[in-house]
Amino acid sequence: MWRYIVRRLIWVVVVVLIITAFTFFIFFVMPPTDPAVQFAGKNPTPEQIAEVRRQFGLDKPVWQQYGLFLKNVFTGDEYGWPGLGFSFVTRSPVKDQLFDRVWVTISLAIGAAVVWLAIGIPIGIISAVRRGSLLDRGTMLGALFFVSAPVFWLGLMALWLFWYKLHISPGTGYVPISQSFGGWLSHMIMPWVVLALLYAAFYARMTRGNLIETMGQDYIRTARVKGLPERTVILKHGVRASLTPVVTLIGLDLGALLGGAVITETIFNLQGIGQWAVNSVFQGDLPAVLAVTVVVALAVTLMNLIVDVVYAYLDPRVRYT
Amino acid sequence: MGKRRQRLRLVGLALAVAMVAAACGGGDEGGGAPAAPAAAKGGVLRTATTDFGFTNGFDVTGEYLGSAFTMYGALVRTLVTYKHIAGPPGNVLYGDLATEVPQPTDNGLTYTYKLKPNVKFAPPLDRAVTSKDIAYAFQRINTQPLAAQYAVYYIGLIEGLDGKAKSAATPVSGIQTPDDQTIVFKLTRASGDFNYRLAMPATGAIPEEVAKCHTKAGDYGRFLIASGPYMIQGSDQLDVSSCDAQKPISGFDPSKKLYLVRNPNYDQSTDTTRTNYVDGIKFDIDTNLDDIFNKVQAGSLDSSFTDDAPPTVLQKYATDATLKNQIHSNNGDRTWYITMNWATPPFDDLNVRKAVNQVMDKQGMLQAWGGTVAGDIATHIMPPDVVGGKLGADYNPYASEGNRGDEAKAKEFMKQSKYDTDKDGVCDAAACSNLVMINRNVAPWTNMEPVVVSSLEKIGIKVKARELASSAAYTTIQTVKNMVPIALNAGWGKDYPDASSFAVPLFMKDAIIPTGNTNYALLGLDQAKAGELGIKFPAGVQVPNVDTDINACQELTEADQRNTCFADLDKKLMEQAAPWVPYLWNKVVVITNPSVTKYEFDQFSTEMSITEMAVSNKETMS
Repeated sequence: MWRYIVRRLIWVVVVVLIITAFTFFIFFVMPPTDPAVQFAGKNPTPEQIAEVRRQFGLDKPVWQQYGLFLKNVFTGDEYGWPGLGFSFVTRSPVKDQLFDRVWVTISLAIGAAVVWLAIGIPIGIISAVRRGSLLDRGTMLGALFFVSAPVFWLGLMALWLFWYKLHISPGTGYVPISQSFGGWLSHMIMPWVVLALLYAAFYARMTRGNLIETMGQDYIRTARVKGLPERTVILKHGVRASLTPVVTLIGLDLGALLGGAVITETIFNLQGIGQWAVNSVFQGDLPAVLAVTVVVALAVTLMNLIVDVVYAYLDPRVRYT
Repeated sequence: MGKRRQRLRLVGLALAVAMVAAACGGGDEGGGAPAAPAAAKGGVLRTATTDFGFTNGFDVTGEYLGSAFTMYGALVRTLVTYKHIAGPPGNVLYGDLATEVPQPTDNGLTYTYKLKPNVKFAPPLDRAVTSKDIAYAFQRINTQPLAAQYAVYYIGLIEGLDGKAKSAATPVSGIQTPDDQTIVFKLTRASGDFNYRLAMPATGAIPEEVAKCHTKAGDYGRFLIASGPYMIQGSDQLDVSSCDAQKPISGFDPSKKLYLVRNPNYDQSTDTTRTNYVDGIKFDIDTNLDDIFNKVQAGSLDSSFTDDAPPTVLQKYATDATLKNQIHSNNGDRTWYITMNWATPPFDDLNVRKAVNQVMDKQGMLQAWGGTVAGDIATHIMPPDVVGGKLGADYNPYASEGNRGDEAKAKEFMKQSKYDTDKDGVCDAAACSNLVMINRNVAPWTNMEPVVVSSLEKIGIKVKARELASSAAYTTIQTVKNMVPIALNAGWGKDYPDASSFAVPLFMKDAIIPTGNTNYALLGLDQAKAGELGIKFPAGVQVPNVDTDINACQELTEADQRNTCFADLDKKLMEQAAPWVPYLWNKVVVITNPSVTKYEFDQFSTEMSITEMAVSNKETMS
């Protein structure tokens, strides 16, 4: 197993290198957003543009710029480690902005994951166990609604109702947990729930389907015949087996969310990396785009590795060499 | 006796109730709405924007954004400035650091300013501003690595200022500081708008002991030391003992906030141009545009800032009697226009350009912007206030019924063009088809697009719109080699209240540069210039050149004469060059909460005037 993990970690590095290389080269063939010209302002002289290009490091050949970027990532630059350069737009170190924003996205992603698992899986189990009942039909209808409702609409509705009308929620924005735990929690509850509703619905439907299928297996019948309590049959034998696909999905979804839930971040004014990535692309802020690319690629590949390891733990039939 | 006492008590009670009712009733027919509180000092002005959009990291040497100018109006004192109020009175210059606005001497080649004593920098510097701080600001403008974005206003005009210095320590020979209270500028030529150029924020006092540590473009923004009535919150904590010790000021995070607090060293008696009602100003970033306007209505913000209100919000405020006085609309001194390239067919023919002007449905374009609340239909190039009212909307060389465009008249122009071979008023040459039209990919530009496309089709010009993000759209049309024939994305606002800030960068031959070009129409292009730029010069075409006209206007020093001269230039451009189709003189719309007891607009920055606004909230800057 350890050999497998080490091999996978090496592949993580390879994948991240390939993705950043693609991003780097795409940046230079994209539609013309020339950061040097943008930054040089109105009526710049050719000398001014050249000077800005030099300061941004854009005067070097593309392959040399990429090499320098890789070197700085591993060894650091004048702003510290990892060396991610400075933002063309804000003129501040990308590393500082990244660390500031990544905690917002982590808060959002993990919090939402906890909420959607806490809602989705129990509902899925109950629906499966009480298949065909009014409860089952009601919850699945609700799940269908939340799967269909766009996140931006849910977010705006939640803000309108809970903040604007009922004054229950403190509204948009992010309060760092180091500044105030209560402030952090009160500001995150609505984004968590809004983001989680979509996933909870999906996970409820998936858990229900998997559990129904699992409960029809021979070994479940055997467990019942052997006199095991129904709760044990369902939770220990049924749910455990039906959750393995769910584990895979959690990893993928969490990995994707750690790349930034752009719409949720924008609606709730959470300045995470998703929204930063979109703005940076439009503004031609290459260092910021690369920083986000590294983070997202790492998040997705590492989450996939964690999922595979957990999968092996859950399902004894799976063994890695 | 008991009953009598009871009756007396009842009468007394009735009288008391009557008195209270009278006090509450007021005298108004409609009943007791309380009068708005008078503007008073105190409180915090709270606003938000989706993105600061700074063009140079808020470094005053290079920053070229109108909203930054309104912030600098509170932070940085220049030799001369405006009163940061609306309309023509907001375009009048007064002494700020200088005791007065001087007249030039030496045939317009020398300007001498005397500084007011005891104007101090904010903590931690706590020292008086001197003439050397102004001279240092110009040294920074002259320093190439600092990318001063409007250095073009000073390069070649002030002796010794060529924009090529490698370091800000290099003095400019044409700027002399014989003593701490005197600064003298020597010019290479007379320029009647020189005082206006000295009101630009880049020329404000900059302390060398702090700024010398920031040698890259955009770096100084997070370390800015104020000389104005406000300072960035936390700037008093800046450790200026060494360059390494300086850490970014806590009150400014380019992606989150900019908070201003009162400068304890500011002396109101030295300043006749600012009132400074509020104790602090909070600019926060809020990525949700609707949320900003919801917060304004709910009262957790006092006003919107730079973001245009969504049409639904505008409609709500415009149609609700209780909200109408919270919507503020002022002239933005900006023209939005369609630009046409003189070097690309069919726009190398003046008749085609006139036909396009004549056929354009400007009313439809205005509706796409949201109607009259967005502004007024532009009938010529420079907004009326920019030419001192010398040329208003009544001058409309391509007038049509209801500003809907006049197809018949447009066809008459087209018939005279070489591109209409059968003279039916519709272009039938291949050059009129498949033309790329650059546009922005957001409303209202996308809303305008069908109006423009269908207007052009009436005279046989068929365009394919290419929608890009704003910065990409500008970069595309600013790169001359792209030879973009027609573009819908562009607008131009005055830099200072003199028409030269339109004429010089937009229509002079020397303003044509390979990248970052703003003379999109390429007026003044000739064979030699085309060769320098690496583009093909259209055969047999005489591209209009108005350099002589502009230079003649520039030499005038009296404002009225300058305005008349530039107004005449505007007419000449519209009739003999038709560089654009101007379609909108925009209005800047800001929505406030009733907590704003005094709203004011800064005509210079064309944003709200933060030193002249008052609020009723009792917040403090913690």
